[in-house]
Amino acid sequence: MSEPLPATGPKAAPTGVIHDIGYRHYEGPRLGRGHALAALTLHSLRGVFGLGRAARGKIMPFLLAGAMMLPAVVSIAIMALVKQQAIPYAGYTVTMQAVLAVFLAAQSPYLVAPDLRFRVLPLYLSRPTTTADYVVAKLSAMAIALFLLMAVPLTVLYLGELLVDLPGPPHTHDYIAAMVISIVYAVLLSAVGVALASFTPRRGLGVAAVIAVYLLTSAISGVLVGVLSSVSRDSAATWAWLINPFFLVDAVQVWIFGTRPNNDGGYPPGVGGPVAALAVLVIIALGVTALVLRYRKAASS
Amino acid sequence: MTILATEGLTKRFPRVTALDRLTVSAGTGVTGLVGANGAGKSTLIKIFLGLLPPTEGTATVLGLSPATQALEIRRAVGYMPEHDCLPPDMSATEFTVHMAQMSGLPRSTARERAADTLRHVGLYEERYRPIGGYSTGMKQRVKLAQALVHDPSLVFLDEPTNGLDPQGRDEMLALIRRIGTEFGISVVVTSHLLGELERVCDHVIVIDGGRLLRSSAIGEFTQATQSITVEVEEGQEPLAERLTSAGQRVTVAGRLLMVEAGSPATFDAVRDAVCDLDLNLVRLEQGRHRIEDVFREEVSNV
Repeated sequence: MSEPLPATGPKAAPTGVIHDIGYRHYEGPRLGRGHALAALTLHSLRGVFGLGRAARGKIMPFLLAGAMMLPAVVSIAIMALVKQQAIPYAGYTVTMQAVLAVFLAAQSPYLVAPDLRFRVLPLYLSRPTTTADYVVAKLSAMAIALFLLMAVPLTVLYLGELLVDLPGPPHTHDYIAAMVISIVYAVLLSAVGVALASFTPRRGLGVAAVIAVYLLTSAISGVLVGVLSSVSRDSAATWAWLINPFFLVDAVQVWIFGTRPNNDGGYPPGVGGPVAALAVLVIIALGVTALVLRYRKAASS
Repeated sequence: MTILATEGLTKRFPRVTALDRLTVSAGTGVTGLVGANGAGKSTLIKIFLGLLPPTEGTATVLGLSPATQALEIRRAVGYMPEHDCLPPDMSATEFTVHMAQMSGLPRSTARERAADTLRHVGLYEERYRPIGGYSTGMKQRVKLAQALVHDPSLVFLDEPTNGLDPQGRDEMLALIRRIGTEFGISVVVTSHLLGELERVCDHVIVIDGGRLLRSSAIGEFTQATQSITVEVEEGQEPLAERLTSAGQRVTVAGRLLMVEAGSPATFDAVRDAVCDLDLNLVRLEQGRHRIEDVFREEVSNV
């Protein structure tokens, strides 16, 4: 990007002189929908982390990204000192779920609300971009952001483990499992978060809606688990864990990769894993459908 | 060359009929789309862009059908909406570059063209500041720039003079004229202010209640009343008498004299009369009946 651009006349011109060279037509290539999709995704991804926005917009995402890194750093220090794994890869995301939920709640509305509130959407839709392209770009941006939030600390942790050289083989299987499951987390969370946020042009309302859904599911799940365990309905309690989206995905991880559950009491055996995986797919499909319908309606108004 | 055409185009919403069997066509140059608020101008533009399906009838833009080739149309046209459409936390440069990329321009070209286009619409140093702090006039320029940045062959400008002060209005109209002539981009411009369009349009389409009232070249609107408007500081009565006695047909309209112009010799007659009477000439211009008058006549005839 640093090579000189010979054709930018005004920049290269001597100070204070603007030559009117008249209007020039553009004869160069016009790239297709894929290019526009990539441009919108990148633009949105930068926006999620507050790049290209005022300093105020950068505080929250970078604070939360920093918070996601902390356990990895501490864990590496512990590994170096006592030669023992501190945080398992499989449990990293579940442990840090509150941070991810806050990130999702705080940044999803930024992706979609301003375009609705300031009515930028008609400008996108009057270009070779369909509503589906728009939805895909916004979802991808959020999913990539969430994936980075999980994958970077996991990778740092893994590199730390290799450097510290713990006794025994490195936990490569667990690391790969955690990375794959991070993708599932990223897609599920972004589908829910962006869909909820897209229904209001007001950012505050979007933030509140996303965080409320997270708190509600985790509270209902927690209360049910507590009540059911106290009356010794342990198998019912294992199902109640799945109401919380983070434990739902953890159950999928346990089923596919055979990792240790990150809750007390484990997940429903047998059909529990497939049911959890199906639930994840259904929730993603619902979120995407809601988004497509929402923008189809917005396009015709 | 026909750039857009409709054939029996009808758009019904649950409660209102926005367009009623509209059949029009327009060629290259600047076309004015005139009508009161709610006449169906914005609906027509949305149908041309393929954003709204028509209830009945067909439309073509640049020889393409909005129903089946909307993406090709949107690649080749620009659109400036009537409403605000700018994010306040971005600078005009960033925003225009982004919109150029969304139209399919590679990033480096997008930057170059954004800088060029912003200069053409008259935004200079302020283009690096966030749009939130701009005046209405500057915002209208950014909206225009995003419609032009990908060098379309046709732009739809929906009420571009909305909210501008008289000077901003004049500048915007001059810019539209330049787009149509110097830039070589065909323009469809809507307005509910009929008078301002006659200054920039080659062709005017008047619609009312979704129906075509009149579609003709600008000359046809005004050719019936070729006249010269003369304004002098003092002594318009002696001037009127003098011109009348010289065989000119003169009407006094307040401080102005309207002289019917049969031939270029009328200008000479006015010049000589003013010189002979030693008057201070303030204004001598080609006067035309406003489109308003034509519009009003047509409405009363319907």
